[in-house]
Amino acid sequence: MLENAMLENVRVLGSAAWVFVALALIGGALAVTLPNILHAIFSLALSLVGVALLFLALGSPFVAAMQVLIYVGGISVAMVFAVMFAFALREGPAGAARRRRGLAGAAALGVFAALGPLIARASWSPHFARNDWTVAALGRALLQHYNVVFEALSVVLLLAIVGAIIVARREPPQ
Amino acid sequence: MSSTAIALLLTLAPLAAFVLALVVFPRQRRVASATVVGAGALSLGGALWLLRAGPMDAPQLWPWFGAERGTMAFGLLLDGPNLLFGAVVALVALAVMVYSLGYMAGDRGWSRYFALLALFAWSMLSFVYAANLLQMFIFWELVGLASFLLIGFWYEKPAAAAAARKAFIMTRIGDVGLMIGMILLFNATGTLDVRELSSPQLLGQIPQARLALIALLFFAGVVGKSAQFPLHTWLPDAMEGPTPVSALLHSATMVAAGVYLFARFHPLFLAVHYVGQIVLGVALGTALLAATMALVERDIKRVLAYSSISQLGFMLVGLAVGSLHAGLFHLVTHAFFKALLFLCAGAYIHHYGSNDLVVLGRAGGRTQRWTTLGLIVGAGALAGLPPLAGFFSKEAVLAALAEHQPLPVVALAYLCSFLTAYYSFRMVFLIVRPNPGSAAVAPAAAEHDHHAPSATHAGGERAMLGPIIVLTALAAVAGLGGAYIGRMAGVTPEHPHTLGMALAIAVALAGVGLAWLEFGRRGAAQLGFVARVPALQTLFERRWYIDAFYAAVVGRLLDGVSRLCARVEARGLDASVDGMARGTVAGGRAASDVQGGRLQVYIGASVLLLAVACYLVGAL
Amino acid sequence: MTLQTLLLVALALFCIGLYGVLSRRHLVGVLVGLELMLNAASLNLLAFSRAGMGDAVTGQVIVLFIIGLAAAEVALALSIIVALYRRRRSVDIDRLHELRG
Repeated sequence: MLENAMLENVRVLGSAAWVFVALALIGGALAVTLPNILHAIFSLALSLVGVALLFLALGSPFVAAMQVLIYVGGISVAMVFAVMFAFALREGPAGAARRRRGLAGAAALGVFAALGPLIARASWSPHFARNDWTVAALGRALLQHYNVVFEALSVVLLLAIVGAIIVARREPPQ
Repeated sequence: MSSTAIALLLTLAPLAAFVLALVVFPRQRRVASATVVGAGALSLGGALWLLRAGPMDAPQLWPWFGAERGTMAFGLLLDGPNLLFGAVVALVALAVMVYSLGYMAGDRGWSRYFALLALFAWSMLSFVYAANLLQMFIFWELVGLASFLLIGFWYEKPAAAAAARKAFIMTRIGDVGLMIGMILLFNATGTLDVRELSSPQLLGQIPQARLALIALLFFAGVVGKSAQFPLHTWLPDAMEGPTPVSALLHSATMVAAGVYLFARFHPLFLAVHYVGQIVLGVALGTALLAATMALVERDIKRVLAYSSISQLGFMLVGLAVGSLHAGLFHLVTHAFFKALLFLCAGAYIHHYGSNDLVVLGRAGGRTQRWTTLGLIVGAGALAGLPPLAGFFSKEAVLAALAEHQPLPVVALAYLCSFLTAYYSFRMVFLIVRPNPGSAAVAPAAAEHDHHAPSATHAGGERAMLGPIIVLTALAAVAGLGGAYIGRMAGVTPEHPHTLGMALAIAVALAGVGLAWLEFGRRGAAQLGFVARVPALQTLFERRWYIDAFYAAVVGRLLDGVSRLCARVEARGLDASVDGMARGTVAGGRAASDVQGGRLQVYIGASVLLLAVACYLVGAL
Repeated sequence: MTLQTLLLVALALFCIGLYGVLSRRHLVGVLVGLELMLNAASLNLLAFSRAGMGDAVTGQVIVLFIIGLAAAEVALALSIIVALYRRRRSVDIDRLHELRG
């Protein structure tokens, strides 16, 4: 049933959905392995675009747009700025790099191995519901049901900006 | 008092003396020795009383523990042979105890010595009067322990300590055989009682092969204890102990225990024919072997040690051809004359401070009148000269042999007699008729006993002479007790053949004559006929290289095994324990790494754990 | 594409991000990994929401909030990194960590 629904959605783009998946995963893989930090950030941006496209394929264009705007346009750029401030573009000499990478890889694989089968074996009972899957509904929810959270998020953002400025400013001369 | 009570008294008195002398009175030396001698006298009195009261066929038993196959009892058996041997043991023990009062005077370990003598007396007497095989075995081992402690009495001497160890280990080897035989026997019959095991019906139930195996295993114990080939090398070394100990243990009683065991289980040993043949071969071979070694020996105690080995073999020969009477008779007479000979040797050693025959002779040994008389009588008994005791008992053995065995075997036995007479009188003549100008050379290093020559112990020497005189008398007349012994043992004594008797006398005289020619007459060269064949001389002197062989083979084998074990321990066990320790420490260090303060480790660990937790929850 | 598959894709992305967080020495590199993990979570939520589990709109709303919060968090994180660099002249985790086990 969901399969039909998903296929219904995806069929529009055909096998393009898998391209988005590939984009996301490969971009992510590159992001975590490239030694040059700027390359890593750009790869991250690529991956985020892939994810945004997946959001689109899943039928939520607004979220996809937000993802691209905020994540790719804001966050990634901010990272690039910060890196320019910190001036260390490459990772340091690989001392215990191999060991650390090995353990990290093991942990990651472990998590995948632990949760993967759970997901695969669980009996989801999905059903398709298309009714409120519109931007209008989304807007209504944001401003009515989730109003407080929405406003709180604004305050958080404000505080974040102020905090960032305070933390990052130079010490004023005494 | 009932016989049982007397028997208990006579066996336990030495035990009490042992405890008293060792624990209560060690400082009061006179009291310690008096206690032990008193106990010895009590034991002798009891043994003689029992002998007069006559044998009791039924044993007195107290139940001990129950096993699946049968119940084990603890008890006393007071039949003929037991009473006889018990009396002999008690007599010789008392003689040695009194003698030791003189011999060991001034020794630092006086109380310990007497305590150990008492220990031995207790064990030996309990062995003799034991009712079943398990009991006998326990006291057999205790006797071995007493022997170990007494051989190594002067434990500061490395030679003595080594000799004690060697004796214990070699007899132990035999004892393993005995124990296995015991187990097999119990398994087959469900009983270890001496009387029950003598019945032919019971023995007949056991399959022949099994019976032969048991008999041979028992014989292994006999070989060990009575120093027969191949476990004979400990006895010459055991002469490191004090001479009275040699007199008591290693001539008259302890080594005789093996022969006595053989006599006790005579029906068992003779049940399968070829077992008797094997025993005969080993015993006769040992007798000849030891006799050859005595031909060239210069140490008086060693001569007597070889002689003991040889005579024990002779006893076993008598028993092996089926004559219980011959074996027991020779056992009794040998106890007397061999103990006598040892005590005389001790008297010489004590007075002159040397063990060497030539030295003793040239120092004027013949001037010790009573000792020399004892020596001559003892040697005569050993050689088998009538009317001394040894003649009758040896005659009994030879007669038994002549009855059933082929001519070559009998001839070998007569050869052994000849050699015995020869070396006994070689010993006598070297002491009694020393020839300062003879070819015999005094040894460069005086190998002597513990004491220096003591001219100050007049009283002590009196204590030593008493037992010598008593034993001299016994060695002279004990031969007349043949019939009595037969009655006690419940067997018919051997009927002597005139031809056999004449031959025995002739052979003995020939031996004495040859000794006279070579050692005794005026101007004799005092070199034996063996010395003319240097290869033989070396062979006999080096004990047929058996000792060297044992040292090389067994020593090397054991060395190899020990080294292997040491390596397994070091590399295997130790290493694994060390490895565990190191692994634990390393594991600890690795585990503590997780708490190292590195953020990424923390994150990684937490996420991983969370995932695992989810998996577990999901999986359940 | 089934729900299972999409969820597994999200899990893969999450693990990739986890690997990045655990293995990177550069602080911003760690942040990159962190962003990937957040995205994976968003993908998950949206997938469930699409599959009709729970309220249809809720999933999208949550994702929006995630995105917003991520922005705030990144802003603060980056300012901290800049301040750290000013004081310690390094953004290498191994040279910066003062916590000891």
